[in-house]
Amino acid sequence: MKTINNSSKALLATMLTVLAMAFSTTTQADGHAKPGDFTRGANVWRDNCGRCHNIRDARELRDDQWYSTAFHMRMRGGLTGQETRDVIAFLTSSNKPARKPIITDAKAPTASSKASKLSGKAVYNQTCIACHGADGKGTLPGAPDFSSAKGPLSQTDDILVKHVTDGFQSPGSPMAMPAKGGNTALTDADIRAVVKYLRSFSK
Amino acid sequence: MNHSKKFIRHVLAIAISIALPTVASADAAYDALKQQVEMMQKQLAEMQKALEKQQVKVKEVEANTISRAEAKELEHHVNAASEWKDPNTLIHMSGYADIGYTDAQDEDGSFVVGAFAPIFHFQYKDMFMLESELEFEVEDDGETKVALEYLTIDWFVNDYVALVGGKFLSPLGQFRQNLHPSWINKLASAPPGFGHDGAAPVSEAGLQARGGFPLGNMRANYAVYIGNGPELVTEWNGTDFELDGIDAEGKGADRDGKKAWGGRFGLIPFAGLEFGISAATGKATVTSIEVTAGTAPALANEQARDYDVFGIDAAWQYKSFALRSEYVKSKIGRATTGASASDGGQWKSWYTQASYLFPTTKFEGVTRYTDFDSPQDARDQKQWAFGLNYLFASNVIGKITYELNDGQKGAIADDNRWLVQMAYGF
Ligand code: HEC
Ligand code: HEC
Repeated sequence: MKTINNSSKALLATMLTVLAMAFSTTTQADGHAKPGDFTRGANVWRDNCGRCHNIRDARELRDDQWYSTAFHMRMRGGLTGQETRDVIAFLTSSNKPARKPIITDAKAPTASSKASKLSGKAVYNQTCIACHGADGKGTLPGAPDFSSAKGPLSQTDDILVKHVTDGFQSPGSPMAMPAKGGNTALTDADIRAVVKYLRSFSK
Repeated sequence: MNHSKKFIRHVLAIAISIALPTVASADAAYDALKQQVEMMQKQLAEMQKALEKQQVKVKEVEANTISRAEAKELEHHVNAASEWKDPNTLIHMSGYADIGYTDAQDEDGSFVVGAFAPIFHFQYKDMFMLESELEFEVEDDGETKVALEYLTIDWFVNDYVALVGGKFLSPLGQFRQNLHPSWINKLASAPPGFGHDGAAPVSEAGLQARGGFPLGNMRANYAVYIGNGPELVTEWNGTDFELDGIDAEGKGADRDGKKAWGGRFGLIPFAGLEFGISAATGKATVTSIEVTAGTAPALANEQARDYDVFGIDAAWQYKSFALRSEYVKSKIGRATTGASASDGGQWKSWYTQASYLFPTTKFEGVTRYTDFDSPQDARDQKQWAFGLNYLFASNVIGKITYELNDGQKGAIADDNRWLVQMAYGF
């Protein structure tokens, strides 16, 4: 009985401490928090979003829906505020459609026809590594093994470029590959470069 | 359109004015005139053709360009869209539902309307979130039961703490808070002891602090709460009282005036592995009677009994293989005073579940073993459950589950069951 009373007091003390802590560190309400980061977000997604339930398609919800869902999942999964912002950055980028602009000027060069400023390796390490792993073997259920020349890499560059650009889900796959790996900043040339780089895993 | 009509009218007027004064002249003049007219007709036809071509082109251009008015309207839409994207309050609805068919050994098979559980979220910036889940169920007699599964206002105090007030899912263990929604649970039934009125507490009304933080290379998460605590049900069998069960579903009032508190600490040494430890303690009082025979004496001066919960849980995932295990024990102390004074009791259960999603297919196989032990022998159950699921999508799942139940002979807990379920998390 006494121990319970004592521990009740201990708990209340803990709660008060937590509250005090809470008030003293307002990293987020004051707007000085670090903004979400796409690459960190892809990692948060890979490491957490399949912990309790099947990993959902990264393109399944609208941006505003992902926003609320991410906060809901922060509560469920004990994510930090930073992890929440990161995963929102990842999920909202994955949503950006690889759509053509409505009015195009045929003469002006489109962003994607510019030459790649990044090497295939740089693109891979920045955008693809979270899900496909440093060794190309895949870190998620459903992610293919690039260390084998069989499987997806038996397809032509053109097909692979198309699948990476538009996103891809094979029948029966538990998870889809988001368009451009979720990173809409990638140009056609970046994607060509990274597809070339993928082939180096199977050598 | 208008242009071309006008044009034709002009051409005709000119043709007629040229033609009229020469009509009365000689044959030669007539022939010349005829020739002229024929030529003009030809020219007219050519012009019409050219015009038609022009019209097609105009149509093409019209289809491909946007008028100023249209552009204005588009601009308006675009502005409105970005305005809606960044409001102070977000409104979001999700939830889940399931339907199915159950056939138990000693009962007729029936279609079951499992549950419709809409979840509402209202989020004020990144500061507050209101979470609420309703649960609609159709009971055996056709009545619809509505329950407020949870209703909380969460305050995201900073990156590591969120304060939750209201009625929330019990943060003890993993099944009740994270696995019970039918699109998440890989079998069509809850493991015995982890459903409602079992060994694992369901929900709590109170105040909770929860969050996560990095711990060296590892990650940790926690939840601590204080709440009204559960109430107890006693059974009157005609001669005496015996503890029947713990009603651990968030009470709207604390009828025994004694709070319960507890929490869970989870550790993720590396992605894919999680261990959790949970505990709660407090007091609980008998507040209702389940009469199985005769008439029960009224409750009076019930003594607040000790209430303690302990649990551990673990989850491990490797690619599409997942292993989960959880143990929970809820213990109630004895009461020596009060009308329903009786011995205490403990409800405990553990399960281990393995699942495997066959690569490149949508089929998932599941096996689960559960051992539930309670003060009522008739409810004790050892269960093997086997399941085959088809994942239409990550959140739309068809399940066939077979439960091999071993309980007291003649008790419902001994009946094997087939369950077919379709679950949709939206
Ligand atoms: C600790 C367990 C857990 C983790 C980790 C988790 N979820 Fe969930 N998720 C749930 C539960 C439980 C629900 C169902 C909510 C309910 O019924 O209250 C859910 C529901 C959802 C839904 C349905 C919409 C909604 O808001 O209810 C989506 C989408 C979702 N999760 C995505 C994610 C994403 C993305 C992540 C990674 C950031 C994630 N989940 C991590 C447990 C988890
Ligand atoms: C968020 C996780 C994720 C990211 C980020 C990601 N991928 Fe994928 N990728 C997947 C998954 C999952 C699949 C398997 C999809 C399937 O088979 O349904 C896949 C499949 C592929 C395939 C095979 C397509 C085919 O035709 O079978 C290629 C090629 C590929 N990814 C390249 C990339 C490249 C290049 C990047 C970086 C620009 C990238 N991925 C980023 C998850 C990801």
